[in-house]
Amino acid sequence: MLGLSFNDYKLISSNAPRYVGLSNYQSFLADQQVAHAVNRTFVFLLFAIIFQTTLGILIGALFWRNDKLRGRRLALTLLFTPMVVTPVASALFWKLILDPNFGVGNYFLQIFGVHKIDVLTSSTLAFPTLLVVDTWMWTPFMALMTLAALGSVPKAELEAASIDRLPLFTVIKTVVWPHAKFILMLGILLRSIDAFKTMDLSLIMTDGGPGDKTELIALSLYRYAFKSFNLGYSSAISVFLLFIAIALTSIYLYVLNLKTRKET
Amino acid sequence: MADDFMKPRRKSGPIKLSTLSAWLVSLIFFLPIAWIIASALKPKQYVLNFPPKWIFMPTLSNITDAISYGNTAKYFLDSVIYSFTAVALAILVSFLAAYSFSRFKPAGTDFLMFLLLSSRFVPAAALVIPFFQLFNLVHLQDSFVGLILFYTMFSIPFSVWILKGFIDGVSTKFDETGFVYGASRMHVMFKIILPQLRPGLVAAFVFNIIFVWNEFLFNFQLGGIHTYGIPVGLFTSITKDGHLDWSFVASIGTVYVLPLAITIYAFQKYLLVGLTFGTVRGEV
Repeated sequence: MLGLSFNDYKLISSNAPRYVGLSNYQSFLADQQVAHAVNRTFVFLLFAIIFQTTLGILIGALFWRNDKLRGRRLALTLLFTPMVVTPVASALFWKLILDPNFGVGNYFLQIFGVHKIDVLTSSTLAFPTLLVVDTWMWTPFMALMTLAALGSVPKAELEAASIDRLPLFTVIKTVVWPHAKFILMLGILLRSIDAFKTMDLSLIMTDGGPGDKTELIALSLYRYAFKSFNLGYSSAISVFLLFIAIALTSIYLYVLNLKTRKET
Repeated sequence: MADDFMKPRRKSGPIKLSTLSAWLVSLIFFLPIAWIIASALKPKQYVLNFPPKWIFMPTLSNITDAISYGNTAKYFLDSVIYSFTAVALAILVSFLAAYSFSRFKPAGTDFLMFLLLSSRFVPAAALVIPFFQLFNLVHLQDSFVGLILFYTMFSIPFSVWILKGFIDGVSTKFDETGFVYGASRMHVMFKIILPQLRPGLVAAFVFNIIFVWNEFLFNFQLGGIHTYGIPVGLFTSITKDGHLDWSFVASIGTVYVLPLAITIYAFQKYLLVGLTFGTVRGEV
């Protein structure tokens, strides 16, 4: 892949790969469309992480408090199912639900007095809709990570805190957070990397449209590789994405190391 | 007296509320999937009704139709063939690798382990290109051998991570005791260490199956009409006979989702280790 990114190589022409140095990278940096897609992906990532982490922590905490919930196993199964369904399938399911003519989503909108809209081709709503679906898919994952993170807090410390009648905020800050942060941050890291790779969802639900409103970078990459068969160029994009992923990982590791060093 | 009477009531109030909200949250998240299942059970003429028809006689005919239609059954069979073979192979290889990483600690172990994970960092669409070319070169497109080889490779990183974690948890005293009694290395690995890794093996197996089962892009690009699996079946179901048949899509979707939901229910303990690539261990 790294090698290809330095070549001019299109599957539709019969020419063999030709070494072109950095020119793929140059055209990549100059490409406005790709720049927009990257921006959009960052916006997507930011909102997705914020929503999913917040909701996930709330839901995780809810289930953690309810460890003797009746039918907990079944409830958790229902909660976790969305994240193991492959994005191709979820995207199809949501397409059916959001269909402008007979989708059940529009039915509920009508109850609230909104007239029928096709959210997937609306230039203002398509992107938020994609975010909602992504949040639906991945909030359970953050909830799972929250459960794991809270589970890693020693019970004895929590009991001590409750005997001391510490206020909730202090308990979270001094007892829960130091133990829970590693797993929670790992969850956020894994989500960031995956959110950057989101492709199937926008491919099936909106195909990047309307216009290029939901064109995420991984989708552009897919198009360059398999619609225009420009392998050299798409490899350059993937090398760029790889660097972003490595950068995200390093930032995360750096932040965690910094924190532990401060405490010790 | 009054105090004693008040106490349990005060306690039961908030607990009930949180129980209720926990269930409510779960149901909300499951709602879209429930809707798909309901759509599959609806008689065909009601699926496109607007406003939706809430009360209907459930029927299994859509689902049986979908299963007997065209290639559906074959998609399932293909998925089963390549996912189980590939994962079984991957776990065998991974066990050997994980044991070496854990016991011999070759130079650069950390780096190698990181390298294993790195395939997760790039979009699948980027990785599919080199594989596409490679498969062209060696004529492995649309063959089970090719797909099984690919999915074995696809499953190995995760399995190595997860198994290494578990092997690290088994004391080296077991190995040493074995050697003292004259056991061979193979005997130690397969007869002494392996049986102690049961939870790790189960987690690695179940989740690799799920990952491979769900994998779409590689199956779509590297496979062909003889080897397409169920996600591709779902994807192509939208163009069945040139028109969109939502009953059909919903039925295939249902047949696809139910085994997954059952697996989650049965193996919930292993979910965490499975979905974090073996980096976090614990139970929910």
